[in-house]
Amino acid sequence: MRLEKCWFCSSTIYPGHGIQFVRNDAKIFRFCRSKCHKNFKMKRNPRKLKWTKAYRRLHGKDMTQDSTFELERKRNRPERYDRNVTESTLKAIKKIDKIRVAREARHHAMRMKGKKAIEQQAAAKELEQSIHLVKAPAALQEDPSLTLPKMKIKVSQSQTEDRMEE
Amino acid sequence: MLTVVVGAGRSLLGSLSNNLLGAVKTTHEVIPRLHYNSIFSQQQRTFIQMRTNLKVVDNSGAKRVMCIQALKGRRGARLGDTIIASVKEAQPRGKVKKGEVVYGVVVRAAMQRGRCDGSEIKFDDNAVVIVNKQGEPIGTRVFGPVPHELRKKKHLKILTLAEHIA
Repeated sequence: MRLEKCWFCSSTIYPGHGIQFVRNDAKIFRFCRSKCHKNFKMKRNPRKLKWTKAYRRLHGKDMTQDSTFELERKRNRPERYDRNVTESTLKAIKKIDKIRVAREARHHAMRMKGKKAIEQQAAAKELEQSIHLVKAPAALQEDPSLTLPKMKIKVSQSQTEDRMEE
Repeated sequence: MLTVVVGAGRSLLGSLSNNLLGAVKTTHEVIPRLHYNSIFSQQQRTFIQMRTNLKVVDNSGAKRVMCIQALKGRRGARLGDTIIASVKEAQPRGKVKKGEVVYGVVVRAAMQRGRCDGSEIKFDDNAVVIVNKQGEPIGTRVFGPVPHELRKKKHLKILTLAEHIA
């Protein structure tokens, strides 16, 4: 049993899933589900579709080079069964998985590092410029820092009477 | 009373016209979409049956062959089955001539075939290897990839001649 990678989205294909397409030049394309298969038939380039791993790696959203990927590399020579090797491999898989997840989280954190500062700045700017869209006269009266400087406008008596009638 | 009837009639008419409009609108919307999809994804691949043209991928001399009978299967032949075929196009100096009735083994089929591990495999075209009544190939070379399914069907000679086993 071998866990393959989908040609289109690079997810693992477990046994019993997916379709293999063999082209006449003997190149085999494996797809994890019909979504990937249909996109392939439409001749879409996976590097241009945002949800594929190919796009994410190309645009630096996910880790590209790391020593934890060495374990998953395809080896074509079958290994002779050795109980000790099997045991240590199983342990290693678990450990390497944990390390890889941690490194990916760190990569993501590095990517999102400046986000909070940018958000704060944008919010401050919006407060300055667009406070007039948010009409809360009670709040404006309470806290002078939220408002623009007050301007005194004279209201005539007749206008207030019209409003009362309505 | 009259007014009520007229009103009912109008509402009926209105609903009818609405339905018609709705139906017309949906067909207008759906037709271009269906047209686009059908080119790429809705092509239903079926069995190899009478009048199916197949490519010949060995050096027996024939180029194209038309199936006249699928030996197993009520609906038609699939990957790995034998068929009886008539040679439609042949190379000038070959072991088979045009118009001969020959047996063939389907080595590539555009219709997907399920494998025992649950996955499915399909090829790009329909191809056949010309075989004698005992199941031995007439030619001495086979071109292109061939599937594993031939092993179970005991077409081992074809497997040994193949350049790539998918």
